[in-house]
Order: sequence, then structure tokens, then C-alpha cells
Amino acid sequence: MRPKHWFYTLPLRLRSLFKRNQVEQDLSEELRFHLEQKTREYLTADLTLEEARRRALREFGGVELSKENCRDSRSVSFLETLAQDIRFAFRMLSKNPGFTAVAILTLALGIGASTAVFSLVEAILLKPLPYPSPDRIVLPELVSPPGVNLGSEYFPWGQTQFRLLTRESHPFQFVGAFQNDSFNLTGSGEPSFLDGFRASAEFFPALGAVPALGRIFTAEEDQPGHQYEVILSDRLWRERFSSRGDILGHAVYLNGYAYTVVGIMPPGFEFPRAEEMPSSFNFPSEPQIWVPLAVAPQPKGSPSELAVIGRLKPGVAIEQAQAAMDLITKRAEERDPQWKGWFNTRLVPLTRQVVGDTQRPSELILGAVGMVLLIACSNVANLLLARSLGRRREFTLRAALGATRSRLVRQLLTESLLIAIAAGAVATLIAYLGIDFVKAYGPSNIPRLREVRLDLLVFAFALCVSVATGILFGLAPALGATRKDLASSLKEGGRGCAGIPASSRLRNALLVSQVALALVLVVSAGLLTRTFFRLLGASGGFNPRRVLTLQLPLPASKYVDQNHIVAFYQSALSRLRSIPGVESAGIGETVPMGGEGESTVIRMPDHPVGSQREMPFANYTIISTGYLSSIGTPVLRGRDFLESDTADSTPVALVNAAMERKFWPSQGALGKQVGPASSRYPLMTIVGVVPDVKHISLREETPPEIFVIDTQKQWPSMLNMRVALRTKVDPASMTESVRLAIHSGDPDLPLAKVATLTTLVNDSLSQPRFAMLLLAAFSLLALLLASIGMYGVISYSVAQRIQEIGIRMALGAKRRNVYGMVLGQGARLAGLGIAIGLLAALGVTRLMSSFLYGVQSTDPFTFAAVCLLLLATALLACYLPARRASRIDPMVALRHE
Amino acid sequence: MSRPSDLVQGTLDLLLLKILALEPLNGYAVSLRLRQVSGDVLQVSDGSLYPALHKLEQEGWITAEWKPTENNRRAKYYSLTGLGRTQLEKESANWSRLSVAISNVVKLKEA
Repeated sequence: MRPKHWFYTLPLRLRSLFKRNQVEQDLSEELRFHLEQKTREYLTADLTLEEARRRALREFGGVELSKENCRDSRSVSFLETLAQDIRFAFRMLSKNPGFTAVAILTLALGIGASTAVFSLVEAILLKPLPYPSPDRIVLPELVSPPGVNLGSEYFPWGQTQFRLLTRESHPFQFVGAFQNDSFNLTGSGEPSFLDGFRASAEFFPALGAVPALGRIFTAEEDQPGHQYEVILSDRLWRERFSSRGDILGHAVYLNGYAYTVVGIMPPGFEFPRAEEMPSSFNFPSEPQIWVPLAVAPQPKGSPSELAVIGRLKPGVAIEQAQAAMDLITKRAEERDPQWKGWFNTRLVPLTRQVVGDTQRPSELILGAVGMVLLIACSNVANLLLARSLGRRREFTLRAALGATRSRLVRQLLTESLLIAIAAGAVATLIAYLGIDFVKAYGPSNIPRLREVRLDLLVFAFALCVSVATGILFGLAPALGATRKDLASSLKEGGRGCAGIPASSRLRNALLVSQVALALVLVVSAGLLTRTFFRLLGASGGFNPRRVLTLQLPLPASKYVDQNHIVAFYQSALSRLRSIPGVESAGIGETVPMGGEGESTVIRMPDHPVGSQREMPFANYTIISTGYLSSIGTPVLRGRDFLESDTADSTPVALVNAAMERKFWPSQGALGKQVGPASSRYPLMTIVGVVPDVKHISLREETPPEIFVIDTQKQWPSMLNMRVALRTKVDPASMTESVRLAIHSGDPDLPLAKVATLTTLVNDSLSQPRFAMLLLAAFSLLALLLASIGMYGVISYSVAQRIQEIGIRMALGAKRRNVYGMVLGQGARLAGLGIAIGLLAALGVTRLMSSFLYGVQSTDPFTFAAVCLLLLATALLACYLPARRASRIDPMVALRHE
Repeated sequence: MSRPSDLVQGTLDLLLLKILALEPLNGYAVSLRLRQVSGDVLQVSDGSLYPALHKLEQEGWITAEWKPTENNRRAKYYSLTGLGRTQLEKESANWSRLSVAISNVVKLKEA
């Protein structure tokens, strides 16, 4: 129709729709006026009033018929039928508030929960990275030579290897290396300690990142001696330099050296963030500064831990690139056999790396959500199935009275849609609340969590799935009813005491699958909960109570001489120990839960190395006296470091229990000799064994670790040490006096990463806690939905069997028997569901064993407890219908239709 | 909907539009005018007049308004809309074409 036409007619149609009484009145009055005029006309022709009126009526030819025709002319059938359907649907739904509430709530929970979680996963896993053609960006990772265990899958690139790669004809358009570093920014205001990267010239082009202001490094600046240029993050620029544009070209002081600012990155550029990179790299989570890496053309064998990033040449597929890398490896090995096995690379697309470690919990959660959606849908299917079976008679009757099939379908669709719309509204609320909740309480180490928004597309998808379920299960049985012979179904309709076997089998099957799915979810949640409590109780090899930790980076420009550094720490420690309230203080290269330690190749005279493949590795950690007692680590055997262990006395070392277990399982480590691989450094005598102190997570398998004392140290530098203080009072309250004590030695030193050990432990637990809470919430939801389903099925079957139960009771069955019968029916279904669920759970939980700690994936306790829980829930859900059944009055029941 | 069988399909619409094009009228007056102008040739029962009027109103060709009559009775007066005028022109043209065609056929001489 033309729009102009609608402009005229729409108000009229709406008027006939919503002001029906008015329209009817108008119609009557119009016709009455006509008849009056007509009567008056005939009156003048000498007829009596009575005769005149009759004649007028006769002439008119049926007032009611004419009215009906007028109504038809108003041709509002479509809208009016719709309004009629909606009114009728409202009436039907409000007549059955229990059904309506349960259906809406079930759907809303299913849609809401799945939308919230799909939105999370979409933002975290599926959203493209904010770089141009991110699928072209790859991380070439060095993989351990076969048979060599480095304690990690990845290992860093050396400068020599990187140079070798850049000299070869590699498959990259741009390839850059980067290495994390920290910088002490001084000169303007408070000294601050900033995380950043040293990056080679092609690092930014490889990402496709362009600065918001200024430029990136040139190839000339990426050379030793010319590298004093710096690029700042947007945040640093705004907070520290108040967004001044004239900062470009000016110098800032990093670690005591002047660096010229050449560029400012756009807001949000923080590549690479720790959570997007392999965890073994120990990258910072918010880099603020980038300076040139400046690898020499012929680097000396100095140790360096580089990561490499490349942008594939246009048209080169990742498989071709991998082949090209393999070729480079082969050529390198042919040229220099000592590289054999040490240059194997694996190209990992950046998109996959970014989601890498977080992917699996997300998959776990996605799986849980899928199950909840399934349970919700099958629940609604069951509800609708029961309902439309109950309404067969109504539909048959209406068909008999002349309702067409399509009319019935339209009405059912209207009802389904009404439910879906209401559920959608509630679901939106649930999804919003859910996302806000996760954003507020989710662990901060999930990348891009703060960017999550409700995904409308996903919402629409979930809504469609549920509506489709509703239509399928609501419509099919009703249509089946109309297809049958009307007369016989009218007769049978009310007395369907035996039910329809096929459909009750379907309902039972749906219920059994709900119970099974719920069991899988609850078992998974149970295992994660047990894991979490095991972790809480797990010993990290330290005691986190009342310990303050902080990082104390020394600028390389000022602290050059190793003796100077040691002397500084000694005096700082003695000042710290004299603070009232401090029990003990120490420094160490790491603190527990504070990140991965340095690992190195070691030599042990009693473990001669056969080939390069078998070189032993261990963490190598510098600590001071007082460190172990500060973090609360006891010495298991032997002794702690003493003040008498100095540069002039015998070199000594401590090892952890893992080291002792690995290398001296029977005779013990005490008195054995160990040292760095290079014979430039002296061997040390092991004087003590300590428990395994965990570095990243309480669930980790701690690698072998050697502790050496700072005063006997020559290698490597000790510029970046952590301080640990055990206090008698609340450690957080000590921060200020600690700052004063440090600054009285050097007022330019920044204090970084000040945190109590308890905070560090809690942070490390945030991810397992999050996974546990989320899964627990889902399994509660699943349990709730499954018990609603159970309740629905059992009460429906009780309603169907009222007469049968009545007869049984009339024949002498006791209430007890009726209870038993109904509960037994529930228990049978639940038992079947539990049995199937158990089998499924055994399979599923095996997949999640990497999330578990201290508990088997087949933990019999969890499985048994969950089975009991499900059975109890099922029986509880059956209790109400069973009670109703037992209260049936046989007389009423027999008369019941 | 029942239509007067002796009226060519759609002719009633044309007649009503034409009558209302002259002046706004109430239903009764329309029926009077119909009788006046066509004598007794075009028999339109009052019962089928109103559905036809309502249909035209729904189509947007005429619009209705409640107004007092000369002797102060409230009555529903119909008048032509702009759309109705266009429609009237279209239907009149159609009618002329049709009637010319039919009379041409009717005037053919038998051989």
C-alpha cells in the first residue's frame, strides 16, 4: 500500500481496533438516523407511525446484517485478530500463573546467562585485535629441542638467533624483537618506576601500530650507541606530562640516562600485555615505555631473553611461512652443527596467543553455559508439551467449531511469542546484571574483560533458539490434535488417563537428559570447589601472614659497581630492621607468588653431563640473610644463610626439596656441590634444604631451585631486587616508614609493587576462584531448572493419573503407598538420569583435569555427594505432587474428568 | 459482502464518490440523491449502502464527520478527500472507456 494511503487509513483502523465501543455506537446511531429519516419520509405518505417504521425496516433489508457488513468493510481482520489473539493469550497465560512464571523464568535464566557469557567470550576470544589485519601477525616461538626439558614449552630468543633470522630470507614483511625492561623515570617530579620494552625497529611496523604523535624508531636508532630515543604510552603522557605536545624532541631521564621523546602511542596501545603472552616470559601487565632494543650486528654471546613478532609477507600463508622457517633452521644447522635442535621454531598466530591461556577456562564456562541453555530449553519444551497435551481438547473443540488450522497456529504462536518477549525482557536484565557482576568481580588478569558489552546479536540468537523450542514443542502436539478425527478425539480428550505413551516417553527422556546434564555440571562445579579449597589449604612453602613486599629497582647509571650495590642493600636492610614493628627483613630476586624466577643451566660434579641434550636446569635465586624468615620459609635440613657467609668465606647455597628429590633422592643434598654452568663461577656447597616456594600459583609444580646469598654474588646483576618484611602489626600500615627508611639512603629510588604477601596469594587465586564461582552458579541454576522440570513432569503425571489413584485408594491403597508410588516414579527417572550423567561426567571431567589440584577428576567423594544431592533434589521436587496425590479424595477423583 | 447484483462491479463506488464530490452528505441524503439522479434504474438497497460507504471511508477516499442536520439532529456526513478525488477521476475515466467500448460493441450491426 502507498504510504499516503496509510496516512489516511491507519488512524481509522486503529480507532476500530481500540475504540470498538465508540465505533459500534457510531454505527448504530448512523443507521438509526437513517431509519428515522426514512420513517419520517413514509409518515408524510399517510401511513401510521408503526407502518412507516416497519416499511423503513423492510426497505433497509436487515439492520444487523448491514452492521455486520459494515464491520467487514472496516477490514481490520488482521490487526483485530492479532489483538484478539493477544487478549486471549494474556487470558490463558494469566489463568495459569504457575506455568507462565516458570516458563518465563526458565527461558529468561537460560537466555540471560548464555548471553552474558557469550558476550564475555566474544569480547575475550573472538573480537579481532586492534591492529590492521591481525591474522597476518605471528609470534615465532623457539621450541625446546626434542628431549630437552627446560621447564617450559617456550624459550626465549637470543640476540644471535634473532640476528641470524633477520639476515636470512625470512617470510616476514616486518620482523621485530622485544624484551621487557623496567625504567626509573626521574627528573620531573617523584621518581617513578615504569614497566616497558626494548623493541627493535620493526616491532611497531610488524604490529601495524602507528603513534598518535611523532614517529617510531628508525633503523639507525636501533643500533648500540644510538638507542637513546623513547616512545611513551598515552597514559604516561597524560598523567606525567599533562598531554603536552611539546614534549616531543625533549629529553626524559630513564635509569639516569637522557632519552629523547620521539613518539606518543594512541590510547589503549599497551602491547604486549603480560596476559596476552606466554606466562613464562614474565612480562609486565601495563607497559608504558618503549625504547630501541639496539641489537649489535654481531652480538656477543651475552644472555638476553627476546621475544619475536612478525608480520607475514602479503600472500604468504602461515604454512608456507612455517616451511620457510624450517628451511632457515636447516641451513643454520648445516652451517653450524652446534645449533642442532636449538633453532626449531613454531609460528603462533597472535590472535591465538592472545587468548592462549585464558582460552581453556572460557571453553569450560562456555560448555557449562551450553548445558544450562540445553536444560532450560528442554524444560520449556517439557512444560509446553504438557500444556498443549492438556489443551488438546480445547483445540479439537475449536476446530470442530470451525476454527481453521492456521487460526489455531496463529494463536499458539502468539502465546509462544508473548512468553518469549516477557522472557527476553527479564533475560536482558539478567544478562546486564551478570556482565556487570563479572566485570566487578572477575579476575583482572583476563584480557580485555573491561571492554565487555552485552552482545545484541548473541542475545537475539539465544532468544531465537528458545522461541524455536517453544514453537516446536508447543505447536506440534496441538497440531497433531487437530489433524485427528475430531469426534473421536473429543470423546477421548478429557479421559486421557493413560496419557499418550509416545509423548510421555518423550517427556521422560527430556527429564532424564536434564538430570544427566545437571549432574555433569554439579560434578564439575564440585571438583572445582574441592580444588579451590585444596588450593586455599595448599602450602606454598611460605607463610603469608603479616608480610609486606615491594620492589626496589636501582638505576644502572648510578649503581655500577657490584660491591656498591651490596653495600647499599646491607645498609638499607639494617635501617629496615630497626623500624619498630619489623620482625625481620630480607631481599630476594623474587617473592612468593610474585612471578617466575630466573632459570639457568647448572653443573654438579657428581652429575657429569653426557650431551647438550641432558643439561640440567634450575631456578637460580639470589637472597639475603633474613629473607627466608621474612617470607616464613623454614629450613628443613641444614642451616639458613648467616652473616658470616661473606665474599671471603666458602661459597654456600641452599636448594629446595624438588632439587634434592631430583638429583639426590637417596643420599640427600647436604654437602653436595653445585654451581652455574660456566666454570668462571665457583662451585658452592649445599648447606641447607628448604621447602618448595611457589612462584606463580599454588598449584604449580615447583622446578628445582638454588638459593645463593647476595654477599657472595658476582653474577648476574642485582639491580632489581624485591624486599620482604615480616611485621608485628598490619603490614600495610608500615608502607610510609619503609619508604622513609629507603629514601634516607637514596631519595631518588622509587618503591614499586608494594603489596602484602596475602594480596599476592589472593591475586594468584583469583582465576580459580572465578572459575569456581561461575561454575557453581551455573550448576545451581542447572539444579534449580532440573528440579523444576522434575516437579513439572511428576505433577503432570499425577494429574493424569488422578482417576487411577482414586481407584487404587478406593480399593484400599494407603496414603503411604500413593506417596511411594509417586516418589518411586520420580526416583526411577532421577536414577536413570544420574546413571547416564555419571557416565557423561566421567568423560567430561577428564577434560578438565588441568583445572584441578589435589583432587582426582574421578574423585569418588565428589561423585557420591553429587549423586545424593541430585537424588535428594529430585525427591524434594516430587514431594509436593506426591502429597497432592496422597490427599486425593477417591470420590472426587472418580468423578474427575 | 453482498453487492447489488444489477450494478456493474465497482460502479456503486463510482456513483457514491461522484455524489459526494458535489457536496458532503449524510447516508440518508446519499440514498435520496441516488434515487433522484438515477430514477429507479439503479436500485441500491439501504442495507448495502452503508457497508459501501464504510469501505470507501476505510480506503481513505471519503472522510466522515458528525454534524447537526437542518433540524438539529446529529448525523454522520461524508465528504470527498483528496485521495478520493484522484480515485474518482480514475474511475470516471475507466467508466468512460468501458462504456464507449461496450456501446461500440452493442452498436455493431448484424450481418
